[in-house]
Amino acid sequence: MQVRFSKFMLRCLILLVTATTAPSLWAFIDEEGCLLCHKYPKMGRITEDGQRRSYYVMPHVFNKTVHRNVPCRDCHNYIKELPHKEVTTGVTCDTECHSVKNPATGKNFSHKPIVDVYEKSAHGREKIAEGLDADMPYCVTCHTNPLYNPSEEKPPKRITDRCVVCHEEPGFVDSWYDHTSRRVREVKRNSAEIVAMCSACHSDEKLIDRHLAAAEKKGEPLGRKFQNAIESYDKSFHGKVVSYGYNESANCLDCHANYENYYMSVHDIRPSRDPQSSVSAENRYKTCKRCHVYANEDYVAIDPHSTSDPVDNAFRHYAEIIYNWVGYVVITVFLGLALFETIGRRRDGVNWMIRDGSSWRRKSRRGRDRLV
Amino acid sequence: MQLSTEARKTLEKSFRINKTGDAERRDIEDMISQMPDDRVLMYKNVDSNPIGDLPRYGLDIRIQHMLTFVCFLALAFTGLPIHYSDHFWAVPMNDFVGGVEISRIVHRVLGAVFVFSMFYHLYTVVVGTIVKIVKKKFEVQRTVIPLFKDLRDFKDDLLYFAGKRTQRPEMDKFMYKHKIHYFAAAFGNIVMGVSGSAFLFPDLWVMILPVEIASGFQELMRLSHPHEALLALLVIAFWHWYNVHLSPGRFPMQWTFLTGKMMREYQLEEHFLEYLRNLVELPSEREYLRNWLKTTKLRDIGKVGNSAEKLDIA
Repeated sequence: MQVRFSKFMLRCLILLVTATTAPSLWAFIDEEGCLLCHKYPKMGRITEDGQRRSYYVMPHVFNKTVHRNVPCRDCHNYIKELPHKEVTTGVTCDTECHSVKNPATGKNFSHKPIVDVYEKSAHGREKIAEGLDADMPYCVTCHTNPLYNPSEEKPPKRITDRCVVCHEEPGFVDSWYDHTSRRVREVKRNSAEIVAMCSACHSDEKLIDRHLAAAEKKGEPLGRKFQNAIESYDKSFHGKVVSYGYNESANCLDCHANYENYYMSVHDIRPSRDPQSSVSAENRYKTCKRCHVYANEDYVAIDPHSTSDPVDNAFRHYAEIIYNWVGYVVITVFLGLALFETIGRRRDGVNWMIRDGSSWRRKSRRGRDRLV
Repeated sequence: MQLSTEARKTLEKSFRINKTGDAERRDIEDMISQMPDDRVLMYKNVDSNPIGDLPRYGLDIRIQHMLTFVCFLALAFTGLPIHYSDHFWAVPMNDFVGGVEISRIVHRVLGAVFVFSMFYHLYTVVVGTIVKIVKKKFEVQRTVIPLFKDLRDFKDDLLYFAGKRTQRPEMDKFMYKHKIHYFAAAFGNIVMGVSGSAFLFPDLWVMILPVEIASGFQELMRLSHPHEALLALLVIAFWHWYNVHLSPGRFPMQWTFLTGKMMREYQLEEHFLEYLRNLVELPSEREYLRNWLKTTKLRDIGKVGNSAEKLDIA
């Protein structure tokens, strides 16, 4: 009797909790009951190295992400029981979904093909990485859910009215419309956001130093522009107009990804010494030619990441010094002349303003005043 | 006034070019002989109209100047915020000129107008010079072509400002400052035009130039465009505007760029040789001078009108 009472009480408790938190919890379907624990904002721990890790899931936010229809354990497939064991690997993006089918093939959906491409690129790494590999971006470094979660416009009623004749399920048509139309509308980062994304790592001086030191030790030097790629880009004309929000000028991916297969290529960025790179010696002028239509093979002589660093570009370094000195000297000499002339003429009795037909109404220290 | 050798040569040449008759010539010589020997007294005692008395620039030059200065300022205001994009003033200034989507178009259109203005000027100068040569009215001293005299004038002017000379040198229509400024502007315009085109058409410049120098050229142009722009802006703001609008006697504005005329006192002070030509070419100025010589208070102290005996007319 006591046991039955406890089960009854437990069911009541679950019902009570579920009912009171339903509006937020049921924003997406939590068939696996993960939110029983992960709904608590303070759920988390402090890691051995002192970092705070939060395991809180906000249902109302998650419900708006691209993964809202994917059950938790499709990605967190290492969870076999509740409460689950300590998580060691976390989610990898090449995991195969069991609940979402590829509508074209009928097979389980997975990001594996693009992850395989990415892992062979200059940025490739495993989910759990150590040392220099840990500096590389993993999928979620770039694919941050909020960016791909813009507030969608309500689909046009004149279109959805046709669909709902058969697809009566509430919300299905809107979701389907958003999913497909987003691809058509090409929702992606603008140029300034792309530069900011790349800058997050490529302007990190400590990261750069680590990789330069490792490359030197290994005897395989990195590209000449590795250490000042962002700084030089920011100072280029491309970088300056992009910083003002102009999207037609080249951002990092416009040159370092192959535009013939852009979305694949951004995951397959290679170092310039790799012949497959869009900025390799063989391919660079073709990449430039996308915008600079008259570019020929010689166009690669022009440095898109020029700096005044004496090691990188001694000519520009010394030319800039000369330019600066010419500027200082010219302005100083002209100001000096103007001052000298003013003192001389003022001493001779000139006024600042002409009045009654003459500017020479002051008393001159040299005599010879205007007769009034 | 006893004319210097240089002034005498200028006057004689002007007589010859203008085919001045004997009566007119005698009249002019008479007036010059009555002018005070001390030119300082003369330019301090004549009366000037603030908007100008004596012709200096024709309509073409004024239009070119207007085109150049309007374009230059607008180019600076649209271009500098882009180059100095990381400075605190750049973003509000760029917003003020309509944002980069608009300012980049405005900048290029004005750049084209600026280049047009250069060619317009070149055309005017070349054609004008040819016409003068054909009509036998060309005087190299009346142009902006630098001469050794300019170096001498520069030295003498500095000595005057330092109090070591009693008179400013007798300078021509274009003095050393104008020539420095003119050629600096010409050099700057060419640099800005070429470097601007290197920004706009880098691929075409690579096609034109040998590959060995293409990179160096592009780097030089990348440096030149903003450096030259800033230098020009500072020179214009601190030197040109000072000389023509803000310096003593010119403040708050010299109207020459609009009226094409120069104040008499300024012409006598800094362009005395041109003033002599004005006497030959402008009956109205002769009329003014004649009246001034009769009425000036300098007469009362014996500074004018007592030199008739110095006349030396053939």
